[in-house]
Amino acid sequence: MLIPLLIISEHLFLEPYIIFSIYPESIVNFSLILILSIFAGIVISMNIFRIRQIKKTNKIGVSLFGTIIGASAGVCSCGPIGFSIITTFGTAGGIATAFLDIYEIPLRVISIGILIVVFFTSLKSLKNECEIKS
Amino acid sequence: MVDKKKLIVVIVGIAIVSALGASFSSYVDQVDQMTQDIQDESEVSPVSLPPLLGSQTAPVTIIEMGDYQCEMCKRWYDESRPKIIENFIDTGKANMFFIDYPILGIDSALAAEATYCADDQGKYWDYHVTLYDYQGHMNSGWANAERLKSFAFNLDLNMDEFEECLDSSKYDQRVKLNWQKASAGGANSTPTFIIVNTETGNEEKIVGAQPYAVFEKVINSML
Repeated sequence: MLIPLLIISEHLFLEPYIIFSIYPESIVNFSLILILSIFAGIVISMNIFRIRQIKKTNKIGVSLFGTIIGASAGVCSCGPIGFSIITTFGTAGGIATAFLDIYEIPLRVISIGILIVVFFTSLKSLKNECEIKS
Repeated sequence: MVDKKKLIVVIVGIAIVSALGASFSSYVDQVDQMTQDIQDESEVSPVSLPPLLGSQTAPVTIIEMGDYQCEMCKRWYDESRPKIIENFIDTGKANMFFIDYPILGIDSALAAEATYCADDQGKYWDYHVTLYDYQGHMNSGWANAERLKSFAFNLDLNMDEFEECLDSSKYDQRVKLNWQKASAGGANSTPTFIIVNTETGNEEKIVGAQPYAVFEKVINSML
């Protein structure tokens, strides 16, 4: 997830050759992407484990929701994805991408918050559900 | 008996689809207007090439396709452009065009028109720089007609001429032609750059606000 987010946020470029760039004013954005990717990876992995072992899916939806919000925040209207959204959905797409762009940092912080909550609740539930009953 | 929940979901779905359809059709109208009004390039002002930054004899040309409301264009403007100007344009190794690709709303096209109104008074690049220096959030009104006129005032332009130019949409067709050219050139995001060796015709496309190192490498490979 880290790599797609870095590409969308134009920190990582693949053509004409692979290059990573970060500017002083985008350090906060990059840090949030990093934290978001780490938590999303942990939380989704935990929930996949829960689904496989315990066959319970009641937290996967929330973790995916938090991940999607964090991933879509900062979709630049002028990037290829934003451009596709605008050409497909017109004015509504433009408004949506502008919202995601303007409130990028708050949206990422909210999604990290959601993922942290899901992390701790999943951890607690795994401890209880995986306890060996004597 | 119809399930009430399902009925509500269907009604909300229809409303969302209708809203999306209405906004899509308004966008399609805007695109149609951009593409249909230009039947013949000769209809546009005789000088259809944008002003050049740098020496006409420079072996490499950088063509930037951008939108004045584009955040990434602003990032490139702040981070990479100054070094490119210092190391390549001022030294005569490259020159640069800016092709308007106003994809982010009506204010984008208006800002582009304003730059040509400033060009009438010989201040295209000063106005171009001003727009990026004062860029605000997309479609927040920072590039509406009144703000564009205030930028012109700050640059000591003849306001009667500028206002008449902007209010009469004198360069509306020119901006539409540029939009078509950028679209036909394969740009699907902004900023998009095409670096051309004017002697050999070799070209390289760079998409996005890539760092100066990328441009340095590509331009040097063409010199």
